[in-house]
Amino acid sequence: MSKTNTSLDFREGIIRKRLDKINRTILVTSGKGGVGKSMVATTMAASMAKSGMKVGLLDADVYGPSSAFIFKVKDLPREDRHGLLPPVSNGVKVMSLDLFVKGKPLPISGKGARQIIKELLALTEWGDLDFLIVDTPPGTGDVLMTLIKTLGNKSSSIVVTLPTALSTSIVRRVIELLLSSQIPILGVLENMSYIASSKTRPIQSSEGKSLASEFGVKFLGELPIDYEASKVADAGDMQSLLKTDFARALVISLEKLNLIKNVELS
Amino acid sequence: MHELALVEGIISNVIDLAHERKGHVVSFKVAIGEFAQFDKKLIKDLLVELVKGTELERAKMTVEIEKAEIKCLYCNSKWKVNELLEPLSNDQKEMIHFLPELLNSFTKCPNCGKSDFEIEKGRSVRVVEVELNV
Repeated sequence: MSKTNTSLDFREGIIRKRLDKINRTILVTSGKGGVGKSMVATTMAASMAKSGMKVGLLDADVYGPSSAFIFKVKDLPREDRHGLLPPVSNGVKVMSLDLFVKGKPLPISGKGARQIIKELLALTEWGDLDFLIVDTPPGTGDVLMTLIKTLGNKSSSIVVTLPTALSTSIVRRVIELLLSSQIPILGVLENMSYIASSKTRPIQSSEGKSLASEFGVKFLGELPIDYEASKVADAGDMQSLLKTDFARALVISLEKLNLIKNVELS
Repeated sequence: MHELALVEGIISNVIDLAHERKGHVVSFKVAIGEFAQFDKKLIKDLLVELVKGTELERAKMTVEIEKAEIKCLYCNSKWKVNELLEPLSNDQKEMIHFLPELLNSFTKCPNCGKSDFEIEKGRSVRVVEVELNV
């Protein structure tokens, strides 16, 4: 007979069960802030849902959640005996801290951020999903580390960067972290490469392509600076966002990974 | 109420531990953090119901409340749950029930006015003791 003092975390058992019902999990990450991860993650989730897939979006940016805003979701997740049911917008099940705090500040410590991510993964009843898209915060801190540990080999990643050497110098770190953690990188996306309306390139460089080549990962393509996309995202109009040049360029990139097909955006 | 998912998680944790140690569970103890605001009787009843038909059916189960300790990291004051939660609305209390760290979003330290709390004890639900026949 042996008595063991433990500190078993009930959430780990629940998370395993929930992940069993999710076919693939994709982390949209960067390391750098302001590169458009949330625009990529939300547009990606909505376009995948439009093509007929069952999609969930976890906004894991605990310090600056924005997915609920872009999806114009305001409803609190409904609670039932199995967990929290995320509200659905444009065919996507959306879970975000902002649904709980409605714009209030989120002064969360690193330890607290770890707890929140585990709690959201344990509480959210996604049901059967083809894809869970995870919008990650900037940096390689507690949130990303917790996602990597918790989602483990169930997940892969898409890395977003900008066409600048400064961005490359930061994003390189997250690529190294993902590779050393055995999280497959599906590819690198370069955002804000050219202006959608004029096709001019404010910065003449191919940083994204070079970065992908440096690590031997796929370069998925360039996304435009698209004022129309910003405008409709500000209005929380996802259906209009899906008709923008930004969304079209993103879908072309996702088609390279066979993540999406037969989607009619306009 | 998401207690069902929680209790399923507890049961799955204890069974996994028994398998890992190649033992048979004689008893286990669950601590419900005061801060999580779960009903002790409901958790106990669900445990009794959900272990039926599992290898934990004959195990002795104990459920206890773990007192919460909350510290302001700015001024080092310590607070009890009620001192911080009482002034809040029911909606805010419910949000904290789901995600205890949201305490920082909804309230301030009564002593220094900052929102930099750490829940040192009694945050959530844990299996704190398992007795195995190995």
